[in-house]
Amino acid sequence: MTISYGGAPYPVRGDFAAAHDRFWRRLAAPGTWWSAAERVAIAREARRARECDLCRRRKAALSPDHAAGEHDRGSDLAARGESRASPREEPALDAVHRIVTDASRLSRRWLDETLARGLTVERYVELVGTVVALVSIDSFCRALGVPEHPLPEPLAGEPSRYRPASARQEEAWVPVVAEDNAGTPEADLWPASRSAWVIRAMSLVPDEVRTLIDLSTVHYLPMADVRNPQASRGRLSRPQMELIAGRVSALNSCFY
Amino acid sequence: MLLRASGAQEDRAPDVRAVIESGHASGVEHGEVLTAFAEAVVGGEAVSLARARRELIDAMGVEAMVDAAGVASNFERMVRIADSTGIPLGEYLEAFGKDVIAELGLDRLRARS
Repeated sequence: MTISYGGAPYPVRGDFAAAHDRFWRRLAAPGTWWSAAERVAIAREARRARECDLCRRRKAALSPDHAAGEHDRGSDLAARGESRASPREEPALDAVHRIVTDASRLSRRWLDETLARGLTVERYVELVGTVVALVSIDSFCRALGVPEHPLPEPLAGEPSRYRPASARQEEAWVPVVAEDNAGTPEADLWPASRSAWVIRAMSLVPDEVRTLIDLSTVHYLPMADVRNPQASRGRLSRPQMELIAGRVSALNSCFY
Repeated sequence: MLLRASGAQEDRAPDVRAVIESGHASGVEHGEVLTAFAEAVVGGEAVSLARARRELIDAMGVEAMVDAAGVASNFERMVRIADSTGIPLGEYLEAFGKDVIAELGLDRLRARS
C-alpha cells in the first residue's frame, strides 16, 4: 500500500505522505534485529496498548509497580524471540505498552530488569524506534481527524543483525555510537562531534536514527536547523512551533 | 526549550509558563489556540480535538493546522525516545535550558534510576 492523505478533508503537504510511506515500507521489511512480522507485531501492539486495562491502571497508580496483571495482547509478539521470557509479563510486550502509555516513568532499573529477562538491548532500541515512529504517525492522523493507516503486510527475509563497531556505553541507558562518527559507516547520522543526545539515543540501531531524521525533517525541522532559533517552516513561526513542542513535552512529563 | 530564544529573535518575550500551565498566556501570536490544539492532540477526546482543530483553522488557516499537527506529533515521538533511552540533556541544552528547567520546576523529572 502507499500512504496517502488524499482522502483528508484538508490539503496535506505531500512530504508528510512521502515520509510516512517510507516508514511504512521500512516497517514491512526485515529490520536490524527483528523480522518484518515481528516489527509489524510491535506496531500492532503499540496501537493495542492505548486500550490496555493494565496500562490504564498503571498510569493511574502512584507508582507503575503498584498495578499488577497482564497486558491486553493483540499480537503474538510475546511469543517471538524471547527465549527467557516470563509467561506472565513478557519483556518486549511490556516495553511496547509502557513506552506508549507511561514513558515518563520508565527507569534505568526497569530497563535493566527488562534486559535481564531476555530482551537484548539491540532489540530494545529497534523496538523503541518502531514504537515511536508508529505513535507519531498515528498521532498525526488523529490530529488531522483522519483514520490511522492499516498496518502493512510483512515481507519475508532475515534481519541484518548489524551492530555499529563504535557503539559503547556512555551516559544513556543504552549503548550509543561515539559522537565523533567520522570515517565510520554511521558518518551520515550527524556531523562529526556535533550531535544532540536525542539523535544519538537510538544509534545502536542506525536505521532508527535515519527514520527519526526523515520524520523529524518533515514534521519539525531539518536537524541542521534545530539549534537556529530563527529557523521555521510552513505557516508557523518558530515561537509557535516551540510553544506546541513545549506543551506536548510537558503534557508527557518530559523535561527534554 | 527554544521558545524563549526563538521569541527573542522576534523581539518578543514568550512566557514559558504557558508550557506547563493550561490557559496561561504565552505572548505568542495565536498561542491560545495552538496550546489548546496541542493539549487535545495529546489527551483530548475526539469532540474536544475536533473543536480545537476548528478553532485553529479559523484563527490561522488549514495549512497552519496541518503544520501544527506535524509538530505536535513529532514531539509525541521525541519525548518517548528521551524517556525510553535515558539520555542526558547534554552540554548544549544544559547551558541553554537550565534556567527554563529551573524556572518551571522540571528538575524533578530528570533523576530516574
